[in-house]
Amino acid sequence: MASYYPEPTNIWESLEYSSLGTSIAESLWAFPTLETIHVIALVTVFGTIMIMDLRLLGLASNEWAVTQMSRDTLPWTWGAFVLAAITGTLLFVSKASTYMVNPYFLWKMSLMALAGLNMLYFHFKTYQTVSEWDAKPVLPTGAKVAATLSLVLWIGVIFCGRAIGFTLGIYY
Amino acid sequence: MGDFFYGLTEQLRETFLLDAAFWMQETALNKLMVLNFWAVPLAQVMHIMAIAAGFGATLMLTLRVNNLAGGARTVPQVAGRYIPWVWWALIFIVISGFLMLIAEPVRNMINGVFWVKMALLLVTVLITVAFQNAARAQAHAAGVAWNAGGGMRLTSWLIVILWCLIMVCGRWIAYAPV
Repeated sequence: MASYYPEPTNIWESLEYSSLGTSIAESLWAFPTLETIHVIALVTVFGTIMIMDLRLLGLASNEWAVTQMSRDTLPWTWGAFVLAAITGTLLFVSKASTYMVNPYFLWKMSLMALAGLNMLYFHFKTYQTVSEWDAKPVLPTGAKVAATLSLVLWIGVIFCGRAIGFTLGIYY
Repeated sequence: MGDFFYGLTEQLRETFLLDAAFWMQETALNKLMVLNFWAVPLAQVMHIMAIAAGFGATLMLTLRVNNLAGGARTVPQVAGRYIPWVWWALIFIVISGFLMLIAEPVRNMINGVFWVKMALLLVTVLITVAFQNAARAQAHAAGVAWNAGGGMRLTSWLIVILWCLIMVCGRWIAYAPV
């Protein structure tokens, strides 16, 4: 079958002009359907993260143990994150070179990387002493800083995600 | 499905909603939303954050009712934590949604998907009120060891599915066949 797409000149165009990329881009329903799953997944990610962060900040569910809250929310955060990452990757592939020149897309990826680092530091450093403050309503500064950073970074991710949709035609 | 929504939209175009949408387009709030590039995206960010808060709270209560999470707390304790968040979230969802509506009245009011979304929202609110009242009453009557029956569990998942359907409509307003 003749290809209507030009020869790719870089890795992002190769992705975009791949059969996967062009199938999603040409389909009438694939992109909106992936977006829809992406939205349901990301509100689950942010919703459950917010529940945990508000606990760490001492603003909600203060009488509940932090480890218990973590067990209740974290499987859903991760499950939904995987779903958002898969659908996000598929959305990306269909317009890879357009996204790669969009500053809001690059910011979104950077902010998510920072959120990941924040989570790693919290998990491997701050959380090691959780047995000392598990049931306390007011938590150590490290936990509060991690929760604040998490909320700010993820709100930034949501903002950039929306901004991408409003600036797609501007940068290429 | 496309034909159904196309037909619905064609019918909406014949109603007073078209004039109402034109009127909304002349308001000062519409100008404010349209002339500021970031107004609509920011309203959408507020919408998404509020949905996350409301959906997250709904999910946690559903998991507790089904004994899938939060078992260390009683249902009334879990309900007390999350139910206010559902309703506060709804207030912010409605405010941000209204801002998006006034920014693009024709795109929403003359759109079958938008009205199906509104109908689903109304149904969800009514079922949620009934569910929350029943859960609290039953848990109160049966004490801390209350185990939700099949009907309550099914209803709790129905509410989660309705939230998802509302989100599906929310996304597809932009792709509606008009």
